[in-house]
Amino acid sequence: MHDVKPGVRDLGAPAPRSRPSAARRAGRALAPLLWLGPALVLIAVVVLWPVVEMVRTSLLKISSSGVTLGSTGSRNYLDLFDETDLIPVVLRTLLWVAGVVAITMVLSLALGQLLNARFPGRRLVRWTVIVPWAASVLMTALVWKWMLDNYSGLVNRLLLDLHVIDHPVNWLAHPDQAMLWMMWVAVFVSLPFTSFVILAGLQTIPGEVYEAARVDGAGTLRTYFGITLPLLRPSVLIASIVNVINVFNSFPIIWTMTQGGPGHATDTTTTFMYKIAFFDQNVGESAAMAVVNFVLILVMVLLYLRASRWREEIR
Amino acid sequence: MKRHLMGAIAAGLTVALSVSGCGKGSSSKGDGSDGKTIKFVAAIYSDNTEPYWQALIKDFEAKNAGYKVQLEMVDWAQMDAKVKTYVQTKQVPDLLNYNAFSDFARDGLIYKASEVVSPQVLSDFSPTFVDQAKYSGEQYALPFISSARLLFYNKALFKKAGIADPPKTWADVKTDAEKVKKSGQIGYGLPLGPEEAQAEFYSWAMNNGGDWVDGSGKWAINQPANIETLAFLKDLNKSGLTQPNPETTDRKTVFNQFAQGKIGMSIGGPFTKASFIDPAKKNIDFGVAPLPTKAGGDPSTLGVMDVLASFKKDGGKNKEAVTKFLDFFYQKDNTAKFLTKEGFLPVTKSANDLLSADPYMKQFVDALPTSKFAPTGNPAWTAVAGAVKQSLGTSVADGDPKKVLDEIQKTAEKSG
Repeated sequence: MHDVKPGVRDLGAPAPRSRPSAARRAGRALAPLLWLGPALVLIAVVVLWPVVEMVRTSLLKISSSGVTLGSTGSRNYLDLFDETDLIPVVLRTLLWVAGVVAITMVLSLALGQLLNARFPGRRLVRWTVIVPWAASVLMTALVWKWMLDNYSGLVNRLLLDLHVIDHPVNWLAHPDQAMLWMMWVAVFVSLPFTSFVILAGLQTIPGEVYEAARVDGAGTLRTYFGITLPLLRPSVLIASIVNVINVFNSFPIIWTMTQGGPGHATDTTTTFMYKIAFFDQNVGESAAMAVVNFVLILVMVLLYLRASRWREEIR
Repeated sequence: MKRHLMGAIAAGLTVALSVSGCGKGSSSKGDGSDGKTIKFVAAIYSDNTEPYWQALIKDFEAKNAGYKVQLEMVDWAQMDAKVKTYVQTKQVPDLLNYNAFSDFARDGLIYKASEVVSPQVLSDFSPTFVDQAKYSGEQYALPFISSARLLFYNKALFKKAGIADPPKTWADVKTDAEKVKKSGQIGYGLPLGPEEAQAEFYSWAMNNGGDWVDGSGKWAINQPANIETLAFLKDLNKSGLTQPNPETTDRKTVFNQFAQGKIGMSIGGPFTKASFIDPAKKNIDFGVAPLPTKAGGDPSTLGVMDVLASFKKDGGKNKEAVTKFLDFFYQKDNTAKFLTKEGFLPVTKSANDLLSADPYMKQFVDALPTSKFAPTGNPAWTAVAGAVKQSLGTSVADGDPKKVLDEIQKTAEKSG
């Protein structure tokens, strides 16, 4: 027994030498987790878990009081696709997103340019542009709702005094007008963020490029479309994706100003989703709408990314 | 490098701890430990509501040593979402002040009324309201406050338009509205926006023999009497006798305009004076009359009732404390104080006499026996009311009354 021990120790001797190296290798492989860990945990808890929960809810039957009554398979989805209002609401949502984001981008490109130019009082103008961003969206929407009020609204007063209209218009009661006004408010609250992203983009363009263009005799328009815009592409990309997601999910503006009414005439998928849960008392179907909404955004963003990278390759 | 590592670990741990900490904190809060502390979720009716409950709870705790009531005030606009969340996350309060109860009863979430109030309190409820508090034959809800609707009319505008008496029939309503319009104001204020479309519609439909259900209790929302009612309201709108766009106008807008003296007639409740007419400080001379009927028969009024419901918890441990608190609230003076502060009608026999002293309130108290209620005992009612709020208004604008009601009927049948 006694003489075996050294032998064992001998057999084991190479092992201690290689074990630390394996552990070190594993340690080295795991080391990034220390840095990534907190972020991964955060993503899992804040992003992934709600998504899983949303999908799970969309497959459940939930009673009007809120009690879960078990699985229903695809019933909620079938109910949702059976809603006569669904298609118009989805189309309106796409129009709403495309309209608001396109107008916001065009205006922000101009505004970014203005903010980048040197002129007296520039700091003041920059601060002013931030104001709608700093104000709560809900408050902005409420203020606009009252300005557009049929009886005591400022807009009607102004237009009446200017003799543009001869009797008060109930702006938010007519779906088309209401949609346009709400798009305007959405543009108004999206402008600050977008124009500051553009401004940041403009400030990264080195002056030498412009100098070179000037030497080559390029005009203002040529410089803008040949240099500024292409070099702004990363900023425009980020700004539009963030805006698409924001505007798509925008709830307070529509809910405050028209509640998606009359009927469903100014609903987007987000307000429609809310109505299914809290007016129709169908949480499961509402979750199904949320999943569809989620997929729509994902597809839109992927398509957009695809399109912009595709252009990059062509060049 | 090492320091950065420690920093990262520390940050990670902080996040992890705070996340799990949050979860624990909120989940353990809901469980009453000894059954002597109860959570009460109350709705905000006005600025008077919270002070009232705070004072009552203080009084209650002083007289019942060891018992505690945690009060949470919730705005009506958020109530539905809150209540759903409570149930879904299993954090129900012990006592809830709400406008629906039958789906809780159906899903076995709440106590029967007899389990949480003394027999004296139970027998004090007026029979009209007890009927509304039942789910499949058993009383679950505790009637809390009630309200009725009558026709408000502006006497000054009526005089100016040469109208002697408030309208009794629908034809009267139309001619009177025409006269008021000719004198330069809005004839009838018709709120069919999402706020309370179901109340305005039913106030008219019931006086045409219409109803939500047929004699056997089945949904009959698209019955001819209801279609006819909407056709009449649509005609008022299309003849320009109402305010513009009734389909998007909420009750509060109509009453603000009425309080400004710009509307001839509108249907309102006991709260209308204290909440709208008095604050406007226009001293308008208004009268209150029974709701007009189609052909001039006996008028009915719309009854509305909010309730208290007590949730089952911890195998019934909370029953005793809830009973003590409810019996305290239903003492005559405590109930009457709430009603007078908020402008609501009594649900108990004992408070009835106290409120009839005020001549304005007396008109509504007297109308209560003729009141008809929405079928709140049917668990599907909330979904039906939701559908009505969303789409009924469109029927008096560009929609077709029959088609709109057909759709709502479909929703009702789907919901059960």
